[in-house]
Amino acid sequence: MRKQWYRLDNAALIFPAVMRKNWNNVFRVSVTLRDKVDPETLSRAAEDLLARFPTIYVRLRTGFFWYYLETVNKAPKAEEDYAWPLTPMSRRKLKKCCIRILYYQNRIAVEFFHSVTDGHGGMAFLKNLTARYLTLKEDIAVPAEGEIVDPAEAPRREETRDCFQLCGAKKGISRAEENAYRLRGNPEEDSFRYIVTGIVPTEKLVEKAHEQKVTVTAWLAAVMAEAVQKRREEDPHPGRRRHIKITIPVDLRRTFGMNTMRNFSLAVNIGFDPLLGEYSHGEICRLMYHQLAAETIPQRMAGRVATNVNLQRSLLLRLVPLPLKTQAMRLVYSLSGESKGCLNISNMGTVTLPEAMVPYVERFDFVIGVQYSYPNNCSVVSWQGKTCINMIRGIRDSELERLFFSLLVEKGLPVEIESNRR
Amino acid sequence: MYCVYCGVKLQDGAEECPLCHTAVALPLRDGPQAVKQEAWSDRVPRAEKQSGKYLAAGLVTVILAAAALSCLIFCLKSLGEAAWSGYVALGMALLWVWLVLPVLFPRWRPMIFLPLDFACLAGYLLYICAKTGGNWFLSFAFPVTALIAIVTLAGVAMMRYIVQGRLRLMSLLVIFIGLSFMLIEFFQHITFGTPMFVWSLYCVSGFCLIGLFLLVSSFVPSMRGWLRRKFFF
Repeated sequence: MRKQWYRLDNAALIFPAVMRKNWNNVFRVSVTLRDKVDPETLSRAAEDLLARFPTIYVRLRTGFFWYYLETVNKAPKAEEDYAWPLTPMSRRKLKKCCIRILYYQNRIAVEFFHSVTDGHGGMAFLKNLTARYLTLKEDIAVPAEGEIVDPAEAPRREETRDCFQLCGAKKGISRAEENAYRLRGNPEEDSFRYIVTGIVPTEKLVEKAHEQKVTVTAWLAAVMAEAVQKRREEDPHPGRRRHIKITIPVDLRRTFGMNTMRNFSLAVNIGFDPLLGEYSHGEICRLMYHQLAAETIPQRMAGRVATNVNLQRSLLLRLVPLPLKTQAMRLVYSLSGESKGCLNISNMGTVTLPEAMVPYVERFDFVIGVQYSYPNNCSVVSWQGKTCINMIRGIRDSELERLFFSLLVEKGLPVEIESNRR
Repeated sequence: MYCVYCGVKLQDGAEECPLCHTAVALPLRDGPQAVKQEAWSDRVPRAEKQSGKYLAAGLVTVILAAAALSCLIFCLKSLGEAAWSGYVALGMALLWVWLVLPVLFPRWRPMIFLPLDFACLAGYLLYICAKTGGNWFLSFAFPVTALIAIVTLAGVAMMRYIVQGRLRLMSLLVIFIGLSFMLIEFFQHITFGTPMFVWSLYCVSGFCLIGLFLLVSSFVPSMRGWLRRKFFF
């Protein structure tokens, strides 16, 4: 197969530049089946999708001015899962392949370096991998509907394009905003990641959000903000950064009616200043909901995209050699990239599958890695009436998780907890 | 099975609540192992060897040493003394301290490595001064090297360790850099007898103007906002 190469999309540019020896920006989607996973069949399924998803099976290469992605000739072999999710992908590994296909007992997981795709693209790939695996293993016919595609057909052009270049406004908007309170803790020396999963009934979660007349994402962000505020009150040295802000990644595919398998999302920060007074739960919910609604209108999103794209198109920046550009991006990222939110809540929504696959699938999970400077993150996905809230942390202290899940219980949601404690 | 403190439902066999670490009174027999086995594997990622950087450091060391040694041998054989090869050998040693030494440590610590770099530079200049029979080291080379070291260390410390009031400090540093050009010209005057304050006045005025602009901006929110918009950090 002839090697193809792709420029990094606008959102992907930052990730290779800011990666460290023991940290980089990775996320994971996984599916738990009803039967044990056969690794050989899984590897065959992955191989079958190689030509259909050229932007997923890629490796990271270094150019003189920019990094770029190059297709690989062989799909990565399925390997046994680790004791914790999202172990860092070193530069050496990224030069071979930017994704990892893992299995453990009934679970199939795919971990992506974020320059390849975002959560939506990752989930679409996992669905196709699962469909192909079930076709090979169980001999079922999965129709090409929804996000399931025919592995024999050629990739559509819209799937491989960088949609950020197409939807920017004429003028960018400022990125300036207040810094947020920084969560801290004692890090694990070996990059161990604790993962605590809270499983709640989706129906009750939606009911609770609708009681406050807000969306599930806004409601969860409000509860998380309350937990972070309590954490800040307990912190003996909270520092000057006082704003409680939650970062919400927004999928732009629906906003702009475009579809791509590459990154196409933007993060917005929503929150409040606790020094202005006390807020009730209802007030925080409304605040979160209205801020999220106001920030995610297409015009503002297009403005934010334009700011990023204009910078990328600047002739001066393009002419600067990659090592210098990398240092500059690192500096900007350390000064402003991660300081505007306390943690992420990434809500994938409800996963849907073709009817033929449903009896074989028990559960979906979605986990985003911790950021370099803040140790907690949260991701949410729903499947068949159950919502999995995955909270990951790189520190020993589990106080934020305790506060968050206790608040959910206090508000009347039954929460079932799973964890990978060492 | 529920945690009595958090109220969350726990996995069967859990020994304690993963949130508050409250012990479960009656865990199921063989519980913790069973839970760990079921949810996550025992596979631990292997630490990657960092051979690349040591290999590069070794290669650079060999190249520098080869250059220094070949010059020394050539001079000793042909002239009977180190002569000019001393400059080359010490120059290579200086390059090694600057480029290779930091690579051998897991983290680059500027407050340790930068003073060491400047101390080695001063030593190298002292050697040149002594070899050429000049008397410019104490009155010119040493103070100028020390001045540049102070400015560099102040700048690095500001960028790495100070979060609040960075703009104000940066403005003062820019003004100090401007004034240090006058000091350099002063050292030049007392060492080489050149006229006082000719070229440095242009530098001082330029740097002071920029510094004053930054200083004023640090007090005026609208100007600070404009700077932040234009330079977004």
